Amino acid sequence: MGDVIELPRRGLSTPVAALQSISHAASNRLLASWDIDEWGRDDMWVRATERLTRARWTTLTGGLELIPGTGPAIVVVNTRRFRLTQWWVAVTLSEALGRPVRFVGRSDSAPFGALARRLGGLLARPDEIAGALRHRQLLVVGLTGTLDSRHVGTCDPSLLGPAVEQRVPVFPAAVTASESSRSARIEVAPRLAAPRHRRGPLGEVELARRVETQISAMLESFGGAHTGTPLDWLPWPSGGS
Amino acid sequence: MTARPGRRVLVSGMGGDLGSRVAVHLEREAWVGELLGIDTDPPRRRLKRAEFHLASPHDHDRILALVERFNPHVIVHMSVWEPFSRANPKTAKTLTSEAAISTLGAAAESRALESIVVRSGIEVYGRARGAPTRPDESAPIAPTCEFGRSLAEIEITARDIGRRIGVPVAAVRLGSVLGPHVPSPLGRLLRMPFVPFSVLADPPFAVVEDVECARAFVSATERRLDEPVNVLAHGAITVLQAVRRGGRIPVPLVGPDWRVAKVVSGLAGAPIPDHVLETLHRGRLADNGRMGELVGFTSAVTTGDVIDKLYAWPSVIRQPASRQVA
Repeated sequence: MGDVIELPRRGLSTPVAALQSISHAASNRLLASWDIDEWGRDDMWVRATERLTRARWTTLTGGLELIPGTGPAIVVVNTRRFRLTQWWVAVTLSEALGRPVRFVGRSDSAPFGALARRLGGLLARPDEIAGALRHRQLLVVGLTGTLDSRHVGTCDPSLLGPAVEQRVPVFPAAVTASESSRSARIEVAPRLAAPRHRRGPLGEVELARRVETQISAMLESFGGAHTGTPLDWLPWPSGGS
Repeated sequence: MTARPGRRVLVSGMGGDLGSRVAVHLEREAWVGELLGIDTDPPRRRLKRAEFHLASPHDHDRILALVERFNPHVIVHMSVWEPFSRANPKTAKTLTSEAAISTLGAAAESRALESIVVRSGIEVYGRARGAPTRPDESAPIAPTCEFGRSLAEIEITARDIGRRIGVPVAAVRLGSVLGPHVPSPLGRLLRMPFVPFSVLADPPFAVVEDVECARAFVSATERRLDEPVNVLAHGAITVLQAVRRGGRIPVPLVGPDWRVAKVVSGLAGAPIPDHVLETLHRGRLADNGRMGELVGFTSAVTTGDVIDKLYAWPSVIRQPASRQVA
C-alpha cells in the first residue's frame, strides 16, 4: 500500500494564476465602470472623445431646449465631406443634454466601423433608425457632404421615413466649425413636420426637402467669410461644418 | 389566443438541458394534459408526468409512429444541435436536419395539431457587412454561418408546414444560451484561462440564460404564438469586457493568428465553431423589445449578469471520500 501524494497545487498554477491576478487587478483599476449599451455605445469612449473635441473647438449651441429631454427625436445636420460632423454633433449634444445621442452613418468595417459603433454610430439603414427610435433614442442624421460650406447637401428621405411613421419630431440644425480658429456653432431650429399628412412615402420626401431648405436658410443667416474676392469661391475658408 | 386544458404536448429534444428544463415547466402547467418527449439521450432532469422515448433522428418510421399514436395538439421542436456543443459541426448539422424532417414531418400528419413552436436563434439574421446591428423580428432571414442556416431551415420548414395545414408557428430565436449545464461553445471559450479577442473590432454580443429560454418556450406554447420572437437578456458585452469580469487573460488577435487560436483552443477543449467565430469578429445583437408583448415577460437579467454567473459556476466540485481506504 502506498501513500497518496498530493502535488503542490499552488506551485503548479502559479504562472497562470499570477497573470490572471495581474490582469484582473489592472482591469479592475482602469476599467471598473466600463460598460456598453445595447447598441454597443461605450460611454467611457464617448466622454474621452468629447474632451478631445472640446480641446479643439469651443462650441456655441443654441436651441437645445427645443430637443426633448427624453423620448425619441432626430436632429438633421449639414455636413462637409471628409469631416465627422454627425459624430462631433452627437458627442457635443450628448454632453450638453446629458443623454446618449447616436449618429447615423457609421461604416461597417473594422476597425473604423467598430470604433464608430463604440462612439454611438448606427448604420444608415431605415430599419436601424426605426429600431433606435422605438427605443426612444435621440439620433443625429447628416445631409450628404458638400465641399462648399455654403451649400447644403441633400437629405435621404428614407432615413426620415421611420420618424414620419412613428411621428417622431425632426429638428433641423445648422452647424459651422472654423478651420482656422476654435469657434464652432450648432444651432437647432424648431421641429419640422411634413407639410401635409401623406399615407405614402411622399411624407418623408417633402419633410426632407423642408429640412434642406431650413438648414440652408439658417446657414445663410449665419453669414460667413464674404470677402468679395475669389477667395469666397474656395470651399475651405468660410465657416460651414 | 391561449391553450385550452387537456392539451397533448410533444417535446422533441427533451433529453437536452434546455428540452428537459422546458419539460419540467410544462409539467407544472395546468393546461398540459399529456406530455411526450423524444430525443437521442435520456432527460437530464427528473420528470414526473412526461413519457419519454429514445429515438434517433434518422429513425423516421419510429418517430412517425410515436407522433401518430400520441396525436399531439402542440409540438415543441427543440432537437437542435449547436456545432461543437455536443457534436462536431458536420454531425450537428446532419442530426439537426434529420430531426427537423422527422419531427416536423410527422407533426404535419397529426390530425389534432393546433400549433408548432420551434427553437431558433438570432444567428438566422446573419452578420454580413451592412447587416442591421440590432435586428428585430421583422428583419429578413439571411444567415451567414452554418448554424444560422440550419436554424433558418427549421424555421422555413415549420412555417411551410404551418401554412399548409393552417396552424400557428412560433420561432423562438435565442441568443447564445448560457447556463451551468448547457454545453455552450461560447461559454466554454470564455471560461478558458486565456481568451482570444479581436483587437480591431471587439464587437458587442448578447446572451440569454437557460432559465429564461425555458420560460419563453412555455409561454410561446401556451399563447399559441404565430410569429418569431427574439429572446435575449438586456444589454450587451464585448469579449474583452467579459474577460475582464471573469479575471481571464485576454489574448489580442488581428487576423491570420485566429487560425492558430482556433487550433489551440480546440486542443485545449474549447473548439470554436464558425458562428462563435462570427460573434467574436462581428458581434451578435438583436432587439428583444417585443418579448413582453409576445411571451409575456421581459428579461430579468442583463448580459453582464449572465456572464458573471458563467464565471461563478464551479468547474469541478471535489467531493472528498467519506472514508479513506488507501
